[in-house]
Amino acid sequence: MQNAKDTFYEVLRSRIAAANPERTIVLRGVTRPGVLVEENELVSTVTTPDCFRLRWVDANVDAENAMPVATLTCEVFYETAGTAGNAGMDRGRLLATMDAEIVGALSSAPQTAIKQNYAALATGGSATAMSTNIWWCDVVLGPLVVKADRIARAAKVTVMSCEEEGEL
Amino acid sequence: MLLRLPAPAVANNDGEQLGLATPLFQDVELAPCAFRKAESTSTLLVSGSAVQSVVGSLQFNSAEVLFETAAGVVVDGVLYTILSNTATTADGKTYVYSLELRVPVR
Repeated sequence: MQNAKDTFYEVLRSRIAAANPERTIVLRGVTRPGVLVEENELVSTVTTPDCFRLRWVDANVDAENAMPVATLTCEVFYETAGTAGNAGMDRGRLLATMDAEIVGALSSAPQTAIKQNYAALATGGSATAMSTNIWWCDVVLGPLVVKADRIARAAKVTVMSCEEEGEL
Repeated sequence: MLLRLPAPAVANNDGEQLGLATPLFQDVELAPCAFRKAESTSTLLVSGSAVQSVVGSLQFNSAEVLFETAAGVVVDGVLYTILSNTATTADGKTYVYSLELRVPVR
């Protein structure tokens, strides 16, 4: 399942970066596209605004088939306080922009990608393409949440993957 | 008391972004300070000039960024998470920073 999670993150990050190159965050001194996976970062009590934070929640494996199918639920959290120059009065517009970016990135074809194995990156190697794909459903946007001076939303998407030999 | 700071991330490093590589950490001494231990959250009061010295030497933009970047505070070998930081000022100068710390879950 880890390969599916990693591949989905890489796909979403590259699509968001392509759609809006200015959607960036500075994390530990480095500027990078504004997409991160919470479980891959240092534990922090600070919530970074104006970026997409992925959190993997549910996971199921259907082992009935010859090749087990993993179904993973990913929640994408994002929030904004608007811009200081506009006294935050544009926060609704900025959240709508983020809504459009996440829907555009996940609902545009193809909603599938070749699964990659990134394990070799730990030893200085490179990612290798696997034999199967991951695929995902349309994203579902949750209700708007007001958090002090910020407005926030969580979007949910289901990601599926055939588990190859050695993945489970 | 030691402030534990992660080393800067490596640009365009997918390994770090995927949780395959962990950063190195640097411990910086915070002194003088006063620590008040409590059941759920503890408080650390740190001298304003000590914090400004760290901010200057490590080239952070502000004390707030310093504390937000830190992985936590090491007290007697135990890493506490920083929940919030508050600066207290007089005559436009910060003389003490109050850090609210979360006791690690055992």
